[in-house]
Amino acid sequence: MDILDGLGQGFSVALDPTNLLYVFIGVLIGTVIGVLPGLGPTATIALLLPITYEIEPVTAVIMLAGIYYGSMYGGTITSVLLQLPGEAASVVTTFDGYQMAKQGRAGPALGIAAVGSWIGGTVSIVGLVLLAPPLADLAVEFGDPEYVALTALGILLVTYLGTRHPVKSLAMAALGLLLATVGQDLITGTNRFTFGSISLFDGFDFVAVAMGLFGVGEILYNVEKTEKAQALKSKIKDIWPSRKDFKDSSGAIARGSVLGFFLGVLPGGGGVISSLASYGMEKRRAKDPTRFGKGAIEGVAGPETANNASSTSAFIPLLTLGIPPNVVLALIFGALLLNGVQPGPQLIDQQPEIFWGVIASMAVGNLMLLALNIPLVGFFVQLLRVRAGILAAFALLVTMAGVFSVNNDVFDMWVVLVFGIIGWLMKKTGFEPGPLVLAFVLGSILEESFRRSMLISGGEVSIFFTRPMSGTLFALMALVVIWSTVQGIRRRRRRSRPSMPGEEDLAATGTTAEPEGTPGYENTDDAAGAPAGAPREGSGSTGAPGSTASKAQDGGPGPDRG
Amino acid sequence: MTKQLHRLAPLILVVFGAAAMLGARNLGLGELSAPGPGLWPFIVATLLTVTGVVVLFIDDPEDYEPWTRGTLGIGLGLASLAVFIILFETIGFLVSAMLMLLFWLRIFAREPWRWAVPLAVLGALAFHFVFVELLSVPFPDGVVFAPMGS
Repeated sequence: MDILDGLGQGFSVALDPTNLLYVFIGVLIGTVIGVLPGLGPTATIALLLPITYEIEPVTAVIMLAGIYYGSMYGGTITSVLLQLPGEAASVVTTFDGYQMAKQGRAGPALGIAAVGSWIGGTVSIVGLVLLAPPLADLAVEFGDPEYVALTALGILLVTYLGTRHPVKSLAMAALGLLLATVGQDLITGTNRFTFGSISLFDGFDFVAVAMGLFGVGEILYNVEKTEKAQALKSKIKDIWPSRKDFKDSSGAIARGSVLGFFLGVLPGGGGVISSLASYGMEKRRAKDPTRFGKGAIEGVAGPETANNASSTSAFIPLLTLGIPPNVVLALIFGALLLNGVQPGPQLIDQQPEIFWGVIASMAVGNLMLLALNIPLVGFFVQLLRVRAGILAAFALLVTMAGVFSVNNDVFDMWVVLVFGIIGWLMKKTGFEPGPLVLAFVLGSILEESFRRSMLISGGEVSIFFTRPMSGTLFALMALVVIWSTVQGIRRRRRRSRPSMPGEEDLAATGTTAEPEGTPGYENTDDAAGAPAGAPREGSGSTGAPGSTASKAQDGGPGPDRG
Repeated sequence: MTKQLHRLAPLILVVFGAAAMLGARNLGLGELSAPGPGLWPFIVATLLTVTGVVVLFIDDPEDYEPWTRGTLGIGLGLASLAVFIILFETIGFLVSAMLMLLFWLRIFAREPWRWAVPLAVLGALAFHFVFVELLSVPFPDGVVFAPMGS
């Protein structure tokens, strides 16, 4: 189908009154949970999965996508005003955004972030439109071995790029793959690991697992940390940035758009990594890097643009290859599967209304966000008055009632509870639930492709390495493993960990990178007067931000990877 | 001894992985040319076991958060959820939801009674309305509103 025809069809889907309403609901919820520190996009999407049964698949994806990119806008608000990132991708915004707010420039900081986000999102949508159809055409040629390679590469990259401990994440991915095998074997009909339980014949319900690990697990983890109410001190005025602000940040926005777009497509990429990478890049390029951490507008514009661009382009691998590049997209992938839609190269031909409808809805949603954010910032900030404890109580009840409504089965409630406990324990022990859920979603595809490949080749494992495409992918995987092992050993010797783009900045300010889709960390204890380690009183910024700046010169394994 | 306590988590993974390997072998591995139902589970269980062993040796103890009094509270919260599920099955949604909300609002949110009670009652009613009346989810029959719910 021609791109223009497709877009035409897409906009007719996106502008349908029902879908328009759900785009709005999605971006509104996204902004709200972006503001609330206790809930991130992952938890929210997990909690809302049961609703997707009630509505059309395309409407469901439109809404969930809106939550994802909407949260990128919302997270900015609290980062700038309170130095309290509402979700993980906005952590870097606290460095310069909060400093700007202290200098009375909260308005321009929020304004440039909203404008930059809109530009980043739009650039990404254009890229998506241009890149996705040819990629899908290419992927139509893929056979089972390629799918094994692609899926495995996706899981591997997610475990290596987006997380702190590759081996621990890999163990979780393996656990996810193992859990996916529970239930009846589709080929032979054998019951696997069901232990005689009828409820397990169909395996674990994806919704219950996701809601348990992300919903309940995360809520419990956040409840455990006591937090204090935050008072808003800075006044917001002159939200529209001045001409000079635009001039200063235009380069950062342009670079952020491109960087975010490419990092979003990469498996394991997404908002968190791209905002870090953009911050690192801007600081390295700046004539005077010491301005960063003291309210440089580029330090807000770049990362905010990049995280929104990447949350849009992350849909490319999902919609064209059927491989979710990060956890949030894995949940959306699961929502599509639940509705009987198989995302993959055929999607664009067989269900063009979904493919183009989602793309068009993002264009609409980004405009809505721009319109929502500029005038309503004051309203969103008031949401912070909602105390985390109240939020937790209601979120838990929604989870329990919601998961019951999926199959009308109390067993699923117990599954949620058990996975909630597991999720909370994982958080406490430094294992990440993201790779587990991603692998769980992809598990059955991977197994089926693997078994069919074995049948085709008559048991020759070499089939994976001799076909050009899958061979290349496996070679790539080998490189990733070798590279990260070498890095890991070197790191253990040096006893310093930073390796992710921009992580040196975070390390310098006493923070670590959160995985994609998590809520921002909260003000945990008495020492949290300055959560990101930056000095809060006065502007004697010789502390953390200063030392960050001095590290800018020595490069390190930075964003040039993108 | 307590220094080694953090190795418990990977140890559980290793044991779990090894058990799954055995279970998968009993399912029948088949041949590579004709994979049995147990072959794939065996492969991933092996991966789990191997990565578990690696984590056992290289893991960073700093990754593990200490157990605090807050942890105890979480145990209580989990127990309350279990009680909620049991109540939900026996007396329906409305009353159990009110009790659960009240418990959470009082214990974890530390809201005063004058906020907790109305919030719990109104919240439970609102959820009942959304799920039962709007989405017509067949919640188990309750002691209140039972005829409407079914």
